[in-house]
Amino acid sequence: MGRILRDIFSFADRPLSERIAFVIFLIIVLAFPWMVKPAYAKVVMIKFLLFAMFGLGWNLIGGYGGQVDLGQAKNVGFGAYATALMMLHWNIPFWLTILPGMMFATAESFAVAYPMFRLRGHYFAIATLCVALVWKELFVFWDWTGGARGVEIPIKATPDFTYMQFGETGYHYFIFGLFMAQFLFMNWFRKSRLGYELMAVRDNEDAAESLGINVTATKVKAYCIAAALGAMGGSFITAYYLYIDPDLVMPMDLSILIAMTVMVGGSGSIWGPIIGAAILIPLDMYLGAWLAGGGRYGIDFMIYSFIIMIIAAREPKGIWGIVERVRKRR
Amino acid sequence: MELAVQLIVFGTLMGLVFAFISLGLSLIFGVMNIVNFAHGEFLMVGMYVALLTSTYLPLDPLVSLPFAGAVGFLLGVLSYRFLIQYILRGPMVAQLFGTFGLMLFLRYLVMFIFGPDVRSLSHGLIVGKSVSLGYVTIDVSKIVGAVLCLMLFAVVYWMINKTRLGRALRATSLDPEAARYMGIDTEKMNALAWGIGGATVGIAGGLLAHFYYITPTIGMVFIMIAFATVALGGFGSISGAFLAGLIIGLIQVVGGQYLSELKFTFIYLTYFLAVVFRPRGLFGW
Repeated sequence: MGRILRDIFSFADRPLSERIAFVIFLIIVLAFPWMVKPAYAKVVMIKFLLFAMFGLGWNLIGGYGGQVDLGQAKNVGFGAYATALMMLHWNIPFWLTILPGMMFATAESFAVAYPMFRLRGHYFAIATLCVALVWKELFVFWDWTGGARGVEIPIKATPDFTYMQFGETGYHYFIFGLFMAQFLFMNWFRKSRLGYELMAVRDNEDAAESLGINVTATKVKAYCIAAALGAMGGSFITAYYLYIDPDLVMPMDLSILIAMTVMVGGSGSIWGPIIGAAILIPLDMYLGAWLAGGGRYGIDFMIYSFIIMIIAAREPKGIWGIVERVRKRR
Repeated sequence: MELAVQLIVFGTLMGLVFAFISLGLSLIFGVMNIVNFAHGEFLMVGMYVALLTSTYLPLDPLVSLPFAGAVGFLLGVLSYRFLIQYILRGPMVAQLFGTFGLMLFLRYLVMFIFGPDVRSLSHGLIVGKSVSLGYVTIDVSKIVGAVLCLMLFAVVYWMINKTRLGRALRATSLDPEAARYMGIDTEKMNALAWGIGGATVGIAGGLLAHFYYITPTIGMVFIMIAFATVALGGFGSISGAFLAGLIIGLIQVVGGQYLSELKFTFIYLTYFLAVVFRPRGLFGW
């Protein structure tokens, strides 16, 4: 027990400079609602924390596991829909809906994982894309989930803790709490037995197998855990927007954005998702909004994809890869 | 009966178009083992070429097909020279995200220039006309499109299997190193595969524009169809792509008839089932 606690909170394996940078990051995030006045900046901050969290979940399967999953949006959708439908149809408090959403995402991932992990590389990536698209079409088709119109959560008159309705500052600390929970989980995970097994499988499947690691079981476990982490963020989206539809929580663009965040920041590193989200989300929110105001769509995604192409061609390990190379040279 | 004939005819016509669309994807995969996510975007660019030439030049959209092919060829070769060449040396993840980035870049470039509106060809020799053949009434544009696709497919097939250039391409796909020893410039062959892939799908786009709506995001629909086709036919197999194209065409048309909201679901499921249960495809080696 003590060992697990130490693994969760310890960053002893990281250099001092990184630990200091992380503390500064935490102080900035905690003080943010009191320091920064513009309402839009607060929205950007919440979205940044949300996508940093999505990135953490994706990093588990895509970074530490090396399995390019292009269907994380389906898990976000499961979480969002579980929360929305349970709150709407059965009036269940928000707090009791997070776990069922995560459980459903895990169960679904477990069901599709075995056939899926017969595939490798490109085949696997396209298969995850297909599965996510099938789920999206089913949710559009299905009346009980609101179809293409989506689900709207009734707004409470007063701030309500059981249904998670309050002001922007409340959401800020709420998403920060969820983010920290996942971050600390990932900090434990990367030092856990499963984490090491997963990295061994990523680096050399045959060698891992010869050491007695069950390759498929390891991948399946990682895939299911990543699904659960994604679903948690989905629940937050429902509480935050109070409205969801398949195009908001399950589109392919969301899957791509999640994966890109990690790729840009640096996959397989604990800091990667945070760095990636810190670059891509403000870029999207400020540049994209500014240009869409002038009637121009898509330039934010053009810049994204340009960054992605350069990173793919020059530095597959992302920005964190550059940092580590510079450090090694010194 | 009437319906059955209609579905088979429509399915076959669409299937021929799908087969031609998938040809380039399968060729590129066969030669250098890389999946081109931007393939659907090449198609979309071909559609826009047809749209623009017929809108701004006093030409019939059919005349724009060579332009669409040329633009596609150029796009393919440039993509190879400036991106693919570099990502081929990297790990698989980099390859995936490289072509993925290219896909997004082209899509949003077109969206940036032309806006997100849905358009369609308004005039042209074969646009909007239809003929009655016994049981069924068919758009002329679909017939012409399917026949041209069939002919061009045959041309490319002949080129790859019977000409010297095609033999060099096949040698590169079988064993690049051995091909280099034989004096084949494999870099050039890779670029050529991308060029042919881009040109075929560009022409396919020009044809498709005659009877399909045009929007910057249309590539996604067709890349998934092409993936399913190539997976079903066996990755890298060109004759497989042809037969799989026909099957996918029928699946899409029949599925669309009975459950129109889910017609793409059947295609995604086909990909999934094909790669999981028969990874070498129906006609793979």
